[in-house]
Amino acid sequence: MRVVVPFIQSILFLLILCTLPQLALAQATVTLSGYVRDATDQGVLPGASVAVPALNTGVTADEKGFYSLPLPVGRHEVVISFIGYETVAREINVNRTQRISFVLPQIANELGEVIVEGSGTLEQKLQTTQMSVERLTTREAKLLPALFGEVDLLKTLQLKPGVQNGGEGTSGLFVRGGSSDQNLYLLDEAVVYNPSHLFGLFSVFNPDAVQSVDLYKGGFPAQFGGRLSSVVDVKLREGNTKKLGVSGGLGLISSRLTVEGPIVKDKGSFILSGRRTYFDVFTRQINKMNIDDPEYNPIPNYYFADYNAKANYKLGDKDQIFLTGYYGRDVFGFNSASSFNFDFTWGNTVGALRWNHVFSPKLFVNTTASFTRYEYDVTNKIDQFSFNLASDIRDIALRTDFEYQPNERHTLKFGATATDHIFGVGRLQAGSEDGRLDIGSDVSYRGQEAALYASDNFKPTDKLQLEYGLRLTGFQSGSDGYAGLEPRAAARYSLTPNTSLKASYALMYQYVHLVTNSGASLPTDIWYPSRKSVKPQRSQQVATGVSFLLGGGQFLLTNEVYYKWAQNQIDFKDGAQLFVNSDLDEEFLFGKGWSYGNELYLEKKTGRTTGWVGYTLAWSQRKFAPQRGTTGINNGDDFYPTYDRRHNLTVVVLHRLNERLNLTGSFVYSSGAPTTLPQGRFVFQEVYGAEAVAVPIYPDRNSYRLAPYHRLDLGLVWNMKPNRWFDESDLTFSVYNSYNRRNPYFVYFDQVEDPDTEQVTGYRARQVSLFPIIPSVTYNFKF
Amino acid sequence: MGLYLKNILAFSTQRLLPLVLLVGLASCDNLQQDIDVVIPNGPAQLVIECYLEPNQRAQLTVSETAPYLSSPIPVVPEDVTVVIAGPNRQRETLLYDPGFNFVTGKVYTHRGRNRLLIQPGDVFTLEAKDKKGRVVTGTAKMPTPVPLDTVEFNFNDRPAQLREAIVLARFRDPLGTLDFYRFQIHRDSISQEPEVDYTLEDRLNEGKEVTLGTSYIFDPGDSLIVSLYHFDEPYYRFLQSTQNARNANGNPFGQPAAVQSTVQGGIGVFTILSYERRSLVIP
Repeated sequence: MRVVVPFIQSILFLLILCTLPQLALAQATVTLSGYVRDATDQGVLPGASVAVPALNTGVTADEKGFYSLPLPVGRHEVVISFIGYETVAREINVNRTQRISFVLPQIANELGEVIVEGSGTLEQKLQTTQMSVERLTTREAKLLPALFGEVDLLKTLQLKPGVQNGGEGTSGLFVRGGSSDQNLYLLDEAVVYNPSHLFGLFSVFNPDAVQSVDLYKGGFPAQFGGRLSSVVDVKLREGNTKKLGVSGGLGLISSRLTVEGPIVKDKGSFILSGRRTYFDVFTRQINKMNIDDPEYNPIPNYYFADYNAKANYKLGDKDQIFLTGYYGRDVFGFNSASSFNFDFTWGNTVGALRWNHVFSPKLFVNTTASFTRYEYDVTNKIDQFSFNLASDIRDIALRTDFEYQPNERHTLKFGATATDHIFGVGRLQAGSEDGRLDIGSDVSYRGQEAALYASDNFKPTDKLQLEYGLRLTGFQSGSDGYAGLEPRAAARYSLTPNTSLKASYALMYQYVHLVTNSGASLPTDIWYPSRKSVKPQRSQQVATGVSFLLGGGQFLLTNEVYYKWAQNQIDFKDGAQLFVNSDLDEEFLFGKGWSYGNELYLEKKTGRTTGWVGYTLAWSQRKFAPQRGTTGINNGDDFYPTYDRRHNLTVVVLHRLNERLNLTGSFVYSSGAPTTLPQGRFVFQEVYGAEAVAVPIYPDRNSYRLAPYHRLDLGLVWNMKPNRWFDESDLTFSVYNSYNRRNPYFVYFDQVEDPDTEQVTGYRARQVSLFPIIPSVTYNFKF
Repeated sequence: MGLYLKNILAFSTQRLLPLVLLVGLASCDNLQQDIDVVIPNGPAQLVIECYLEPNQRAQLTVSETAPYLSSPIPVVPEDVTVVIAGPNRQRETLLYDPGFNFVTGKVYTHRGRNRLLIQPGDVFTLEAKDKKGRVVTGTAKMPTPVPLDTVEFNFNDRPAQLREAIVLARFRDPLGTLDFYRFQIHRDSISQEPEVDYTLEDRLNEGKEVTLGTSYIFDPGDSLIVSLYHFDEPYYRFLQSTQNARNANGNPFGQPAAVQSTVQGGIGVFTILSYERRSLVIP
């Protein structure tokens, strides 16, 4: 163990946490518990409110839609509400601990009430200790305009304060100054290692299959760990338990189809959902049309497809099992008329089996066994030579999470996780048909990661609420091991019924690292374990915030300030050999990073006009001192990473014109991205006397700023009347980049040539933009 | 092999990128535009490019770095004194006498008068000074040449008038040393750009027989010059870093890399070439 861990102290602390509630005020109460579900498809409704207004008490359903509400014996009016659903009030004679599940009907027209967020009411958001979290449901994301009409939950999250994108149109997330590999993507509690298709232009999460996404930017609850900067918790839908249904959509570049229905009515359901792009359909036709043109350079075939499946079944009153599967692939192929063939595939495979057991209304357990694999495979054949390069990461994980509510003042969460990782860093096979060339290399490692955690949500008074916890983590790879203690704390104090102060602290360790020097999400990025000379990444974050409920509860204004500092941040030597390198450790460079900022957020969730305005003022910096025979990065001086943005403004407005028409718009502005441009050049002739070339000389890292980025997207959703084919259908019109702004994607230097002599006469700087104005239309249906 | 892997991944990037751009309708010319950029200019540095060869007179090029967007005409300082020194009291101040070598197709600014006696393992030094006080130094050691065991060709099975040939070359990698190679095939003359040119390291072939080959790209009647350079790590890193620096300009996914010179006090390369060369005529 390289980090000395006071294990006994840690265990004692965890035990103290577990026993704390028993020391709290004893009060004779009974507990009402159960699930809150959608009346139509029986899907659970995380975040739904179950309250007894007369007692000024209530709880929010957890991420599984389960609630547990301690109440004094007596007859109470229980009010169940959730944005987008009709509020239900039921009078219940509570004389014993009992389980009652509620169903909420959707508001008659799905889009009758425009919804921005589904995390419950603004008042609930004001009252919770959890800060720095954003929840989004597919229903909401589908209302917003999208690039090519492809609804993308991760891109919608980029519209939230503190979240940056990785470039024009990409779905990667850079949260509060963290890099893109510092996000933990969970799909029904199984890790997803590469959340993107096609350079990150699309995320792997098919919106038709997803129920909701929670993004934690800070104040991380103790049950989450393993990445420094964020947790993206994606929950799949469970399928309609009442009747068989089909839904789908036809878009500009892809189509989707979903089938769902009961396995046994009211006991179990399933959902199968798939989508596929059709780039390759067009490119094959174009190639076919040009087959006789000897000058024609064929366009490679490319498509991506992903499939989601989920089934659940109630084994009894107290047990339910869930089975989740995901399979996605990007397929790229190039077969030339000559003997050059190139095939490149990559994607994730994910499976999770979850068992949900209610011991009692006060004690609930969720146990998940999961498998995940991300892999890429490159096969290249030139004449008699063939090459194959592959890499993958495979996890088998088991986790169990308990939730225990001994009384109305305490909610305890505790559990454990264990993961076995196999890092297939690189596998190369090269050979020739005659056997004269035969090279093989396989670099792989194994690692085991485990965690134990406990936390308590404690309400000492009606005004003060605390959440504190501890997470004990460890990682072993071969003879190298690391461990760490991760304290977590959050507090909320209600100054007035409409004003809350919040604060949080979290320490995080990350034991697996993404090996990439591209600064973008590429399919060839590989994951690497912590080893003897590759220490775990570590970060700490403090955040404070204040929230005001304004306009009679219609608006919530939140301001959060954060500071995050991190050690053992990873970058790579210039010219690092990242592929099939058994000494990859030697290519790493280690440094520190820090970021800070202020996030201002005004949101409105009800009424004909809803939306939000977010403004972030932020700084993010890194420093890599001279080391390992190098001058470090940027000669050891501080530098801004490419995702640093000083100002970021987002405005999202959704307006219901009438029962069938909804108008939406989003505007984003962000300061220019840092980039590195060559300062100078020199002439290099080379040894063999070929034409001389200009070699760029790069000065300080990221010392140039691109032009600011801004864009306005507009959307219109037209809900059509039911017809003989479809119960529901809509046409969604989107205009991406509606004023056709030429936003910078990258800048390069180009030589200017005399068209007659082809002599170089000068140099110029060129800015490349990716997406001009792009109108699109998508047709969605359901029957 | 590392370069090969980079190349195939670069290929996929280059082939996928147009697809992205196609998606973005970026074929429209107006998605690219000239812009004004303001970049602070650093002080000009001396640039040295010098390849010594046994039994040849030294020739090298001295130039200066220039702001990227300045005139394309290379800046050639005229006040640089260059001294080459090696074993057996070989020491020579080179003449500033710009010229053109028709054999290699290279321009030079300085030349020596004496043929250099260089054996594998010999170490030579270089010192270049100008009147502004800039000094560039370098040290180079001649690697032992690695012999080509066989150089042969094979035709594909197309009809006689359409058949094309591949070229295969074999050599044995020395055991126990870190070795770097460059394989080139020129048509007709080494002053032309090579048909085949790649570098490799022995990471995956340590001490083994190495087979290098081409695609079916050669025609009957082709007169080929096959070269296998054996060189040290600094020169390999220099070549790789200049390639990386060039690739990063215009590639949004490339990480800008500093050039790893083999000289100190400036930029550039000073090395001793060690190669095995064969001629081959495709019948």
